[in-house]
Amino acid sequence: MQTVYYIVLVPMVYVAFAVFFLGTAIRIVKILREPKNPSTLQIFPEKQPNWLYALSDTFFFPTVRRHKPVLWVFLMTFHVALLFLIIGHVELFQEFKIFQIIPHEVFLGKGFVGLILAITLLFFLFRRFKSPTKELSVPEDYFLLILLFLIVIFGSQMDWARRWYEYGELTVEDYQVYLNSLLYLKPELPYNVTFTGHSFMLVLHVFFANLFLMFFPFSQLMHSFLALPMNKLRRG
Amino acid sequence: MDNKMRDELLNLFRSKINRAMRYYLETCTRCGVCTEACHVYNSMGQTKYIAAYRHEIVRRLYKKYFKARGKIWPGFGEAKGLSDMTLEELFDAAYSCTGCRRCMVFCPFGIDTQMLMSIAKLMLIGANAEPEILTMLADTSIEKGKSLELFKESFLTGIKNLESEVVEKWKIEAGETAIPVDVEDADLLYVALAGAHSIIPAAVVFNAAREKWTLSFFEAVNFGAFVGDPTRTKLIMDRIIAEAKRLKVKEVCICECGTAYRVMKQLSGKQPFKVSSITEVQAGYIREGRIKLDKTKFTDTITYHDPCQIARNGGVIDEPRYILDNLTDNFRDLTPEPKYNWCCGGGGGLVALGDETLDFRMKSARVKVDQVKATEAKILATACENCHTQLSNLNDHYKMDVAVRFLSSMVADALLPQ
Repeated sequence: MQTVYYIVLVPMVYVAFAVFFLGTAIRIVKILREPKNPSTLQIFPEKQPNWLYALSDTFFFPTVRRHKPVLWVFLMTFHVALLFLIIGHVELFQEFKIFQIIPHEVFLGKGFVGLILAITLLFFLFRRFKSPTKELSVPEDYFLLILLFLIVIFGSQMDWARRWYEYGELTVEDYQVYLNSLLYLKPELPYNVTFTGHSFMLVLHVFFANLFLMFFPFSQLMHSFLALPMNKLRRG
Repeated sequence: MDNKMRDELLNLFRSKINRAMRYYLETCTRCGVCTEACHVYNSMGQTKYIAAYRHEIVRRLYKKYFKARGKIWPGFGEAKGLSDMTLEELFDAAYSCTGCRRCMVFCPFGIDTQMLMSIAKLMLIGANAEPEILTMLADTSIEKGKSLELFKESFLTGIKNLESEVVEKWKIEAGETAIPVDVEDADLLYVALAGAHSIIPAAVVFNAAREKWTLSFFEAVNFGAFVGDPTRTKLIMDRIIAEAKRLKVKEVCICECGTAYRVMKQLSGKQPFKVSSITEVQAGYIREGRIKLDKTKFTDTITYHDPCQIARNGGVIDEPRYILDNLTDNFRDLTPEPKYNWCCGGGGGLVALGDETLDFRMKSARVKVDQVKATEAKILATACENCHTQLSNLNDHYKMDVAVRFLSSMVADALLPQ
């Protein structure tokens, strides 16, 4: 079992990140090398400055707010929570003063960010069971939502255990040792990371996250990078 | 379908892929925000008319043939091979979409359904499965461009016959021509449609504004764009560009035809002339005091239907309203606002297909009828030939009890002597 743990926590992580970074970069370069559309794809009336409106469209989804306000609340909550979680993971490497403007313990949000994220993912998933979104959905849509849900549940569980149930065997310091060893290419698995009661949670969390990263460049998740240039096209 | 045909069709698909198309093919999350965007879906309620559903018909082919994933794990994204049945689906999706781009306003990423449907339309041409009449009409336009001399005499005779009707509405000075044709160094080249209704009122207003204008030999309509054939679209457009350059005009003014205006405005590239719609030109005349309108001419409530290709997709939104402000005190705009205006249901070549599509056009544009009815207007003005035909058909079918009018002809009717 320890071999499986090792494979998931070390070589698979490297492979996943390599696929993610290289895959995303290659795909973006490939797309950008395609010729531009010969005519404008703008929608009118025009609002100036159009780049500012394109940014607003990308980060605040005003069209969703207007047409599907409930979905918009969940979408905004999901994306903001996701941002908090990314910050939380960065802080698992080391402390950054800029993130401590509002002093907090790692992770941000006392465990609630993960909970909120899990709820929004369930909402996204269940709305796909209903017509007509059901007819529009393809297996990929369910797969990615379920995958994200699993990542969030196993990841958050570790946070909840520490925060809410005073579970102290697997600490932030343990994660920092593990993650920094990966970062500096001297992989090290502290005893607590692989031999405590919650180690399997970490392994499952990392395993699903690895899968997610490897799917990223080849899926609709590329919208993270393409949404801005697309909205710029619409805004002119 | 044999392999050779499949390869040819996939080459056509490949020829349509550019940066924007990749964005549109890669990004859709099938969130369903576009569900209520399409007038066809809203009128008929069938899922196949939701924009994202239409996209997927094209996108499944993309996943199958242009992404490794489609070969390794086709089921993951429902990648699907190209077959005769797919062609039927492509036809259904492409020729029930009017290219109004209302869904593009809804989509959080701004995916352009018209662009994706242009892949479907081009593949249908490759498979000889497109509506033949559209290709034939496009070819006739191209032929006319090639052998103008053959058509010239009959065209000039036809125009001469219209001149008396123009003079009847607006007197011109002795020695002037009511409908000038082939005038070198004219300021403005007017590109009309085949039909007196597109020429007479425009000529009346040009003469009233003392415009130095000339009428194009060619009709504005671009059947190449309707059928989704980039080569034919360009050939039809190039006839007009060549004529404008030969006559050294400063401005090319496109008649009330949405597709013709958008093609010329957005596809003609950098040219020594500017491209305007007749609505913009007439609004300019009013603004400059070159023509004055009689506000008592039309007493009934007027509403205005924004042609999608001119307003949402072309940016001519304020000008018709400026004209209407000068034409009446009784203007009632449609709700929702122009960006969200419902398509009339006649675009994308559907009106040009005539009775063949009439039943679908009537069923699919019910929301348009409701939108117009809500204004309680008695005159429904518009600035596009296709919209005019479709709105007239809707008027008859749904007994809307409105007079469907071209905005430019209303301007001509309300001219005040200077």
